[in-house]
Amino acid sequence: MTNQDKTLAAGLAATAPPPAAEPDFDAQRRQAFWRRVRGHRGLQAGAAILLALLAVAVFAPWLAPHDPNAQSLAYRLLPPAWSEGGSWTYLLGTDQVGRDYLSRLIYGTRISLVVGFGAASIGCLIGVTLGVCAGYFGGRIDSLVSFLLTSQLALPGLLLAMALVFIIGPSLWVVIGIIGGLHWTYYLVVTRTSTMRLRQLDFVAAARAIGSSRRQILWHEILPNLLNQIIVVFTFEVGIAVLAEAALSFLGVGIQPPTPSWGLMIAEGKMAIFHRPWLVVLPGMALFLLVIGANLLGDGLRDVTSPEKRN
Amino acid sequence: MLRFALKRLGLAVLVALAVSFATFLLLNLATDPAQAIAGENAEPELVAQIRHEYGFDRPFMERYGSWLADAVRGDFGRSYYWHDSVSQLVLKHAPPTIRLALMALMVTVLVAIPLGVIAALRPNSAVDRLALGIAVSAQAIPNFWLGLMLVILFSVMLPIFPVSGDTSWLHYVLPALVLGTSSVPAVMRLTRAGLIEVMGSDYVRTARAKGYRGIELLARHALRNAILPIVSVLAVQLGQKFGGSVIVESIFAINGLGRLTLQSILGSDIPTVQMLIFIFAIVFILMNFLADVLNALLDPRIRMG
Amino acid sequence: MRMRRCGRLAGAFLLASALAAPLAWANRADDTMVVAFQREVVNLDYLYTTSQEHVILSDLTDDRLFDVDPKTNDIRPMLATGYQYVDDLTLDVTLREGVHFHSGAAFTADDVVYTYQWVLNPDSNARASGTVTRWLRSVEKLGPYKVRFHLKSIYPLALRDMARRIPIRRNGAYQVDGKDDRGAQALHPDGLGPYRVAAFQPGQRAELVRFDGYYQDSPKGRPAIGRIVTRTIPDWGTQQAELMSGGVDWAYDMPLDVAQSMEATGRAVRLSGSSLRLSFVVLDAAGVSGNTALTDVKVRRALNYAVNRKAISEFLIGGAAQPIVAACHPLQFGCAQDVASYPYDPAKAKALLKEAGYDASKPLELWAYRDRAVAEAVAADWTAAGVNVKLRYGQLASLDQARAGGKIPAYIGSWANGGTADTAMIARVHFGDTDRNLSRNADVAKAVMDAERTNDPAQRAAHYRKALQTIADQAYWVPLFAYSVNYLTSPDLQFPVPADGLPRLFEASWKPAK
Repeated sequence: MTNQDKTLAAGLAATAPPPAAEPDFDAQRRQAFWRRVRGHRGLQAGAAILLALLAVAVFAPWLAPHDPNAQSLAYRLLPPAWSEGGSWTYLLGTDQVGRDYLSRLIYGTRISLVVGFGAASIGCLIGVTLGVCAGYFGGRIDSLVSFLLTSQLALPGLLLAMALVFIIGPSLWVVIGIIGGLHWTYYLVVTRTSTMRLRQLDFVAAARAIGSSRRQILWHEILPNLLNQIIVVFTFEVGIAVLAEAALSFLGVGIQPPTPSWGLMIAEGKMAIFHRPWLVVLPGMALFLLVIGANLLGDGLRDVTSPEKRN
Repeated sequence: MLRFALKRLGLAVLVALAVSFATFLLLNLATDPAQAIAGENAEPELVAQIRHEYGFDRPFMERYGSWLADAVRGDFGRSYYWHDSVSQLVLKHAPPTIRLALMALMVTVLVAIPLGVIAALRPNSAVDRLALGIAVSAQAIPNFWLGLMLVILFSVMLPIFPVSGDTSWLHYVLPALVLGTSSVPAVMRLTRAGLIEVMGSDYVRTARAKGYRGIELLARHALRNAILPIVSVLAVQLGQKFGGSVIVESIFAINGLGRLTLQSILGSDIPTVQMLIFIFAIVFILMNFLADVLNALLDPRIRMG
Repeated sequence: MRMRRCGRLAGAFLLASALAAPLAWANRADDTMVVAFQREVVNLDYLYTTSQEHVILSDLTDDRLFDVDPKTNDIRPMLATGYQYVDDLTLDVTLREGVHFHSGAAFTADDVVYTYQWVLNPDSNARASGTVTRWLRSVEKLGPYKVRFHLKSIYPLALRDMARRIPIRRNGAYQVDGKDDRGAQALHPDGLGPYRVAAFQPGQRAELVRFDGYYQDSPKGRPAIGRIVTRTIPDWGTQQAELMSGGVDWAYDMPLDVAQSMEATGRAVRLSGSSLRLSFVVLDAAGVSGNTALTDVKVRRALNYAVNRKAISEFLIGGAAQPIVAACHPLQFGCAQDVASYPYDPAKAKALLKEAGYDASKPLELWAYRDRAVAEAVAADWTAAGVNVKLRYGQLASLDQARAGGKIPAYIGSWANGGTADTAMIARVHFGDTDRNLSRNADVAKAVMDAERTNDPAQRAAHYRKALQTIADQAYWVPLFAYSVNYLTSPDLQFPVPADGLPRLFEASWKPAK
């Protein structure tokens, strides 16, 4: 049981928990929660999509008919099997150096998921830390964080990405770090507001009264109550990170070839869209699917954990 | 109110300074502008000549200092690539971006607000679900992919709109659609939520009791109260449009500030990048300031904080 | 009500677009050729610019003292009618009479002296200066149509440099209001070429009109087309769309896929021609980057055997592209072809790597900035041979920055040879004392420099042969291929494909109307 429950049980002044509070682990509440989950189609759809993509990523070596990096220059730019000139060995056609497009799409799932979850995690770490500190301590720290926030939003991500990719080197982790480092603002805003509100509640005052240190308060009182919102933001940020990586790779400052990133595949196919549109249509659809899955899940989680704020 | 404005102004200056320094640092670390100016097949003597001519061999802080000193006086130098002064270059490229941003805003308003209103009037109905579905889908489409898809559909397969360029207002339709759709979900949801809240308020109930119905009720009473937060979000979105135009302008070959930014960054045209970043930062902060003012008007408590 | 209005609007759109689409190829009717460039042209003064678009335009608006015949590679007269080496360091040039600038001023020795002195003057900051200051000491007027050049040392390429780099400007062209103005010829150059500038919007559009006062005996001849308009269209997709709708008559240097797709639509003619541009991989044989893996000649030879040049040039570049074996273009003077070659043999590559004890766990960074597909193909070939390749594809400026800092173990370079068919153009920069030289072989450097210190062709060829044989034997490079250039033209246009890859637009003409 969390400290919040303990203080409630001790009969101290019980104020209505903030709407975003975690449901009490009372059996009835839990049943209601799962009922809502079962009834929420969007949540189920989103979760199903993400799980399916996760499965594709994990089982890629078994699903992909070819090595995604195997080039065969003589068979470049073949159209999908059902079009004129296509071949059934390359179901969805080949790209400009003769790599099988279907295999690249499948392996691209790995890149997108790793980037999405990795960047969202980094953003979470930065944003939640800053948000909680700003919300709890206020004053100077809040102003400093506000300054950092505005500066980060004003600095163009493209420039930062290009420069860092050059200076450090274009590895996958650099790209994840850059995207995570550019997408922590949503976490900050959400946790800061909630922390400010939570800080004033009685159970926090009670904790301070019984002598808990600041660290204990933050860790045991504040954070658990933010968990819901953080998870919701996290799922949205996965989608945002995936799109950001695609945009950076599209502009040439993200994932390096020959790694099969969907954004990079769109960039490489851009020149031929008039005559070979599948090069651009297919990776884009894959991106759309992943992001919509993440967004549906995020929306669903938000609805299910705080039904009063359904939006 | 004045203290609020002054604090914000101070923040703006600090942010602009920090951002411009960071930009200068990053550009100089990552590229060799002398080689960019000299061109691909330039012989080393030419590169050295250019390096000396432009003063790239001077120490870093000295170069930043002299840039800052000039910038404060309004002189942002000459572009390394074009032969105009940077200010002239920016002035020339500003109108297409402004046109694009305004048209995109129009798209957002024309799509998101009606959708949000309809959804709010019949919450949890089929229409509401459709509207939310549109919002969720619009959020998931990569904007550069949407741009390319629209080009394939409406410029190649059905030659209605021109492929690219910016000479007529027709050229702006597809790019405005792409840029505008990215804001639709947020504005739509906000409209819907705000309107639902207002519709349930005492003020509207009183108006209904007085006999107002339908459109009149909506326009005269409900919307008027819900509009303020929407406008403030739109202001922030407008500020972001300038930054978001980079990809859209590149795809559609619109000679605006976004495309200029991309070309300048990739081509190591440092003075141009410096001024553009500066402007983007100022615009962004200004729009946020506007949004803050609107919110403060709405809720006096925030003003004090 | 609303539906009907929508229907009418849609109809209006379609009608408008049908009418708006210009009649295909109307350009022949008003004798105007519209040309698409991918990169911006911001300055029409070739003394201050370098890229190929500027060369093309300068060929139209300017003339030089000499010209190089693209078929025979010989010097031929242009503004100069003859030359004579008084001694190894003194060159006398006789000028043509009866030539006029676009402004009407007569061409005399004063113009030549003014132009070369301007270029030699360090304050002019002309981009062309470096080419000339290396070997030219001074220039003086001997008579109204006679000029004397004083060289600093023996230099066999003097005439070629003059022919390719220095357009002649009018005496006092850079003097505006009593002061020197470097930009005086940027927007409206007063030249001696077959076309004069009628209008110019920097970065977007230039309009050139045939100059009726052009002298008759020019090797360029009298152009057939009366007006040329150049437009900057950086996006290949847009260029294609414009070609399809008739907004553009001529475009060049597009990737093979784009050219083939356009050809398939039947609305454009695809031509391809050879080019003096080369593609090659430079290996860090001297260990400048700190990566010692490539200091072993066996490893470098293995990397050569691993690459399938034939497939790359045939499938990725196509047209007239051909693999090369030496570190120069076969058309260049002195480019000996009897050097060690490494035909595609992945098994041999693997064996050599094993013999050399190559540590495949360490990554090898391969940098590139153009032709992404080629870079990926080379990387894949090396990976197949067992090398852990890390491809770094980015901007040229970043690559140059890294190379100058000694950070690059291997990179794919490209060199256009300045349109000059002489090995000096590539050897000096890549094997002399520059940061592009990753081999740091003193003997090769000496041979390359010696080849520029004598006027005797046989001696020069011998020096280059020695250098090239060492380079190939030591596998300092992986020579890849010579490019092919793709051209797309309107079916109404007749355009002779240049052998050296430099489009000479004044040679274009309209096909007779059917």
